[in-house]
Amino acid sequence: MSQPMIQTKELSKYYGEIKAVDRLNLTVYEGEIFGLLGPNGSGKTTTFLTLMGLTVPTSGTATVGGYDVIKESRKIRKIASMLPEGAGYYEDLTARQNLNYICQLNDIPKLEREKMIKDLLEAVGLADSADMKVEKFSRGMRQRLGIAEVLIKKPKVALFDEPTIGLDPQGTKEIREMMFRLNKEQGMTVLLSSHLLYEVQQTCQRVGIIRKGKLIAADTIENLSKKLADKWKVTVELELLGASSELIREIEGIKGVTSVNQENNKIFVHMETDKSKEISETVTKHGATILLMKPKEHSLDEIFLEYLKESD
Amino acid sequence: MSMAGALTICRKELADHLGSRRYIVLFALILVLSTLSAYQGTEYIKSNPNAGFMAIFSGARFGFSFTYLMVFFGPIIGLALGFDAINKERTSGTLSVLLCQPIYRDSIINGKFLGGTVALSLLAACTIGIMCGVAMPILGFGPGFNDALRIVLFALLTIVYLTFWLALGLLFSTVTKKTSTSILLSISTWLFCSIVITIIAALIANFIVPIQMPGGTFNPGAQQTSEYRELMQRRATIQMNIQRISPAYLYNEAGSSILGTAGGMFGFGELGRGSPFQRLELAQALATRWPQILAIVVGMIVCFAITYMLFLRLEIRPEG
Repeated sequence: MSQPMIQTKELSKYYGEIKAVDRLNLTVYEGEIFGLLGPNGSGKTTTFLTLMGLTVPTSGTATVGGYDVIKESRKIRKIASMLPEGAGYYEDLTARQNLNYICQLNDIPKLEREKMIKDLLEAVGLADSADMKVEKFSRGMRQRLGIAEVLIKKPKVALFDEPTIGLDPQGTKEIREMMFRLNKEQGMTVLLSSHLLYEVQQTCQRVGIIRKGKLIAADTIENLSKKLADKWKVTVELELLGASSELIREIEGIKGVTSVNQENNKIFVHMETDKSKEISETVTKHGATILLMKPKEHSLDEIFLEYLKESD
Repeated sequence: MSMAGALTICRKELADHLGSRRYIVLFALILVLSTLSAYQGTEYIKSNPNAGFMAIFSGARFGFSFTYLMVFFGPIIGLALGFDAINKERTSGTLSVLLCQPIYRDSIINGKFLGGTVALSLLAACTIGIMCGVAMPILGFGPGFNDALRIVLFALLTIVYLTFWLALGLLFSTVTKKTSTSILLSISTWLFCSIVITIIAALIANFIVPIQMPGGTFNPGAQQTSEYRELMQRRATIQMNIQRISPAYLYNEAGSSILGTAGGMFGFGELGRGSPFQRLELAQALATRWPQILAIVVGMIVCFAITYMLFLRLEIRPEG
C-alpha cells in the first residue's frame, strides 16, 4: 500500500454554530485520484481551504505530504496546488502574463519561465490564446488556465475544487483527460471535489461521500454500489403486445418475483434475483410479444442519494 | 522572511497603478494644477523680490497652492490606490489563488502597501520636481541649499501624508467585502476630512463663542475693540483644534511651516490675521510642528498595522 498523501484526523471547522467540517477522517493515498463527493454546502470547499492553509481548523489535525496544515502550511503550498472553486485571474492581463506572475510567486528562475509557460500553455491547449486577455476567455479556457497555474510548481498533489462546474460536456471531458494524464504521467495525487456522482465515477479510483462535514463512506464506486445493490431488489421493465391479466398473474407466480405493477402500458416486475429468462418464457408461452424488456438500473445518483439518506 | 514574494507583488501592484486610468487621471490633474500654481508663484515672486523661491509652493494670492491641492486631492489620491486592493482580489477569486502560492500571507499586504507607496512617491516627487523645473528658468534662479532642504523635507512629508491615505484605503478594502462599500467609505472620509470638518469646526466655534452684535446691528467700531479681537482669537483656536482631527489639516500646518509659507491658506485665514507674515526658520518649523508630523506618521503606522493584522486573520470562506 502506498503512503498516505493527505490525512485528516478528527478535522473540524466551525463557523460560529455551523459545523462546516465535523470530525472528518479522510485518507488519500499517494498516486491515486480521489473524489470527494457531496451536496452543496457539505464541507468540501472548507476541507480544501483547510488543507492548503487558507483557513485554520477549529480542532483536529491534518497533514499534506507529511506537513502539518497549521504549522507548515507554506511547505504544503510548495508541494501542493489547488484550483479553488471560482478561481479568478487578472482579467486585464493575458494568459501568459497571468502564468508569469504565478511563476514569479513560485520563485521560478527567469530563464526557465518562458519555456515553462510555453509548455504549460501547450499542455492545456491554450497555446493559440496565450496573448489574449483573460477577460475574453470562455469558462472552459479559464479552467484550463487554472490548471496550468496549478501545474507551475510541479506539485506532488493537486486539489481541484469543483473543476468542471459550469463546463460543457466537451470541456468536462478535456479536464478529466488532463487529470488522468497528470496522474498517470507524473504520478500526481489528485483530490477533486464534485457534487456530480457521474463525474466522480468517470474520474476517480476512490470516492469519499461527505455530508454535513462528515465522511459517510469511502471506497471504490463499485464497492459502494455493491453494498447497496444487495439491499435493493432487481426490477425489470416490460412492454408487451397482447398482455392478458392471466399472463400477469402467471408472472407474479414465478418463484422469486415479489410483485408486479402496471403503469400505463409498462409493466414493472420486482424480484429477489434476476428472473428475466423465466419471464420471457412465460410471455412467449402465452403468445404475447415482448416489445421491450430491460432491467431498471439504479442510477448512480440514486446510489448517492441513498447513501445520503442512510446517514440521516 | 520571504521578501521575494512581497517584491513580486509590489512590482505587479506598481505596474497596475502606473497603467491604471485612475492613477494617470489624478496624476495629470495634480501635475497641471501644480504647474499652473508654480507659474502663478513666479509671477508673484517677480513683483515681490523678497518673497523667495518657496513662494512657488504658496501659490501667492491665487488661493490654490500645491499644499492646498494636496489637502484637497491628497486623500482621494491615496484612497484611490488602496480602496480596492484586497476586496477586489477577494471578489474576483484571485486572492485564494494568491494564497495557494508558497508565499507568506503578509507578503501580499506588504507588497500592496509598498507598491502603492512607490506610486505615490513618484507622483509627489515628479510633481514637486516639475514645479521647480518650471519655475527656475522663469525666475532665473533656483532654491539655495536651505530651500532645497525644505523642499526635500516637504516632499517626504507629502509622501508620508499620501501613504497615510493609502493605508486607510487598504484598511477599508480589508474590512469590506465589496468595493462599492469601500468606495463609499473612501469618498465620505475624503469629503469629511477636506470639507465637512471645516464647516463643522466653524459651526461649533460659533456655538461656543457666539458673536453678539450689540443692538443687533452691524457696528464697524466694534471690530476694533480688543474684546472683539480676543473673541475672534478664541473662535479661531477652537476651530483650529477641531480641524486638527483631519490629517489634511495637520499636513497643511506642518507643510506650510516646513516651506516657510505659513499662514493664509485653506479657509483659516483668521490664523494669520493680525500677525505679520513671518517666515519660520526650518529648525524652528520642525520644532513647533513635530506633533503634527508625528500624528501623520503614527496615523499611517496605526492604519497599516490594523490592516496587517486583519489581513493575516482574514478567513477565506467558501463563496468568498
